[in-house]
Amino acid sequence: MTQAAALAIGVQRAESPGLWTLAWRRFCRDRVGLVSFLIVVFFFGLMAASGVHLIAADWSKEVGVNYAPPTFIGPEVADGGPSAPGSHGGERTGEANPFDPLAGVLAEIRAASGAASVAEAQAPTLVFGGDRWGRDVLQKTIKGTETSMFVGLVAAVLAAFLATVFGALAGYYGGWIDDFFNWFYSVFTSIPYLLLILAIAAVLNQKGTLTVILILGLTGWTGIFRLVRAEYLKHKVREYIQAADAIGASHPRRMFVHILPNVSHVILVQLSLHVVLFIKSEVVLSFLGFGVGVDTVSWGSMLNEAQSELILGYWWQLAAATLAMALLVTGFSLFTDALRDALDPKLK
Amino acid sequence: MLSALALPAGSRAADPAKTLRVTFQVAETGFDPTRTSDYYSGMVIEAIYDRLLTYDYLARPSKLVPLAAESLPQITDNGKTYTFRIKKGIYFTPDPAFKGKKRELTAEDYAYSIKRFFDPRNRSPYAFLFEGKIVGLDDLGARARKTGRFDYEAKVAGLEVPDRYTLRIHLKEIDYGLSHILAFDLSGAVAREVIEFYGEDTNAHPVGSGPYRLKQYTRSSKIVLEANPGYRGKIWDFQPGDDALDKEIAAQMEGKRLPAIGNVEISIMEETQSRWLAFEKGETDLEYQLWDVAPTFMTADGKLRPAFLKRGIKLNRTVDPEITYTYFNMQEKIGDQPNPVGGYSLERIALRRAIAMAYKTGDRIRVLRKGQAVRAEHPIPPGVAGYDPNYVNSIPYDPRTANALLDRFGYKKGADGYRRMPDGKPLVIRFSSTERDRPYDELMQRSLDSIAIRMEIHKDRFPELLKLERRCRIMMRNAAWIADYADGDNFMQLLYGPNTQQSNNACYQSPEFDKLYEKSRTLPDGPERNKLYWAMARRMEADTAWIMNDSRVRNMLMQPRVIGYKRHPALHQEWMYLDLDSSAGK
Repeated sequence: MTQAAALAIGVQRAESPGLWTLAWRRFCRDRVGLVSFLIVVFFFGLMAASGVHLIAADWSKEVGVNYAPPTFIGPEVADGGPSAPGSHGGERTGEANPFDPLAGVLAEIRAASGAASVAEAQAPTLVFGGDRWGRDVLQKTIKGTETSMFVGLVAAVLAAFLATVFGALAGYYGGWIDDFFNWFYSVFTSIPYLLLILAIAAVLNQKGTLTVILILGLTGWTGIFRLVRAEYLKHKVREYIQAADAIGASHPRRMFVHILPNVSHVILVQLSLHVVLFIKSEVVLSFLGFGVGVDTVSWGSMLNEAQSELILGYWWQLAAATLAMALLVTGFSLFTDALRDALDPKLK
Repeated sequence: MLSALALPAGSRAADPAKTLRVTFQVAETGFDPTRTSDYYSGMVIEAIYDRLLTYDYLARPSKLVPLAAESLPQITDNGKTYTFRIKKGIYFTPDPAFKGKKRELTAEDYAYSIKRFFDPRNRSPYAFLFEGKIVGLDDLGARARKTGRFDYEAKVAGLEVPDRYTLRIHLKEIDYGLSHILAFDLSGAVAREVIEFYGEDTNAHPVGSGPYRLKQYTRSSKIVLEANPGYRGKIWDFQPGDDALDKEIAAQMEGKRLPAIGNVEISIMEETQSRWLAFEKGETDLEYQLWDVAPTFMTADGKLRPAFLKRGIKLNRTVDPEITYTYFNMQEKIGDQPNPVGGYSLERIALRRAIAMAYKTGDRIRVLRKGQAVRAEHPIPPGVAGYDPNYVNSIPYDPRTANALLDRFGYKKGADGYRRMPDGKPLVIRFSSTERDRPYDELMQRSLDSIAIRMEIHKDRFPELLKLERRCRIMMRNAAWIADYADGDNFMQLLYGPNTQQSNNACYQSPEFDKLYEKSRTLPDGPERNKLYWAMARRMEADTAWIMNDSRVRNMLMQPRVIGYKRHPALHQEWMYLDLDSSAGK
């Protein structure tokens, strides 16, 4: 604040640059931050495009042979592994059943439909390989990106929202309200994080993206809460709040219209940090089998599949999911660092 | 150890320096024969307790031989009365429950052990073995359910103990399965003192008279058995058949005193990868639970890869006497909810049939089983009496016809592209599985997608699923059944109406099937019974209670030092017939 004011005096123009403009200028000077920002934007683009079915809409189609290798390796040499002794290959043919109440109907249907359908041709190789059903790993990774990022973002927003409301109430009012939230906070933080997540997952006992978001959001607010509360404690005694009191602003107005904008940079940085944390947590949850449902793919579920594939030499699904995750998590973390530097004027 | 030294010279006991190391992929539940039902606990139970009968190790098809009995039973009264003479001088292993006295195994112990299946306090999942068979026993069980206390002193007309070493069983009807049941793990004899001494903790304190006894036990982690020093022993004297393996085994094992191996160490390892790495590094001796990684050690023609051959590792391939199947809950309602796949109207049969026709069994075997399974056509698997190698299932894989069938019966597609019930209500299949079954969930999802039926997954822990299943609360699930004894009856009873809430997990009720089944029980193994089995299998297919899946191949890998192994189709493990020869493969 003081620095911004000093700058304003120095410049000639009538309007002085605000907190956000200054932050943006500082951010632009950080090369690493800028590159990581572009990576994050790229991933956001990927998520959006996949979300509206522009790309990877057909990820669940079985376009290749099982475990189709990546194109740059070339098709697999025909050692498809052992077959069972005395197994007759191909699908069941079926024999007449004298007791079948549907025999007549089925005979009619078969007579009408004629020749058996032709199986769709399946590619021997795919750009970045195929999974066990011959689904394109590249498309799966994009779809997985969508799920994992969506879960990370929404869960982080949920956690930040809860933390802000709780932190604001606790920090602003103090007294028994503060005590209550602190007690609540202590209960949550006394349990090891992963254990808490798994416990809640076991209690909810329901699968799906929404469940994962709820689990992460409801357990992840504690860190942000602590910081927001501290900010509110600091700000509520400042002159501008006393001034707001003097002109008759209500408590909620002072909390959310006056103080909130002044602490929002803290929340923003924490929000981005938690996106990374939650993306990783989602991966862990799905890897352990508590994550997304069977009709959804996420990086965690891909890694889960990869653990049994790796020993058979099918490394591409592991590589794809790991690469995408490493890129986004690193990019996002560096971006968050840069953001914090940019938003904290005291650092420079 | 002291008692081992006290053994008379010439009867060399098991070598305490030899330890056979094996793994279980699933944790055991306990070692009380009436209180468990899982395969792995059964393996340990088989090693600890003595049954009246067992199987010849080498003879195929499997042949019953006496174990604690002096000979095969005397069957009189047109097959309704079985008389067993029990060997004298068999003793239970010492235990605090016996208060320092030597305790001999008697006929009374067998009568007591059978009665325990009917004690409501044991909640035995395997009561069906004896239910409806022995004169007077069911009434006693019914009385106990009413009063809450089972009267072990009460006279049971069907379980006669005329003297210390004679057991006479009277059956209500002719039943050719009884001998097999009495050769099965869970028919081993327990001592009443031990059961009463340990109360609710009998699962952790098995005391038997068999070749091994429990030495060390850490629940769900490690089970160590040691050779029973007081065991009467058995000399390896089996008749080899024609095949080369038999001859090789006979040459190596002839005349040895069994059990030859002093300790069996069982580790619970749930991850396939861990089991594989343990075997590969030589930390385990026997390993077959490696379906997922089969291509790493086997070539396309089912041989060991050269690297392992060079190390002297041995492979024994057999098809397990098991079937896996996907069952439908056949009841009209699940709890108070309507059950879309239940009921016997044409429209419901058509729905089940369509799902069965769309199920990708081929993919299941090729992709998920890595080719290590054979298609199951008949409810009775290979190696079990009643198996018909020429039988072909009447339900083909044909999603196109399945779709046409659903169209014909009015399962129309809604705006979302998924089919609805003929009355316009939504159609959702609830498929139950455990956390580890995601690949099988995907397979079901892909199969149902091909006929535009919506599916939802219900996840729970395995024991919870079994509990729900016993109450007919599961709509659809993949199940597996491995032979308790090598008779087709053990499989056909899975579909018998009165076994609902026990082993009949589809809760299938068909008067025609039940009639055929009851008749089949009164016939010995043979073409006449097989004809009934054929009709029963066709009845089941007509109603489509199950989708037949596969029988897994047991690729038993052995370290070079393990000798004497031949897979037995009815025994659950072969530990007491093996030896370790440290000079082999060095």
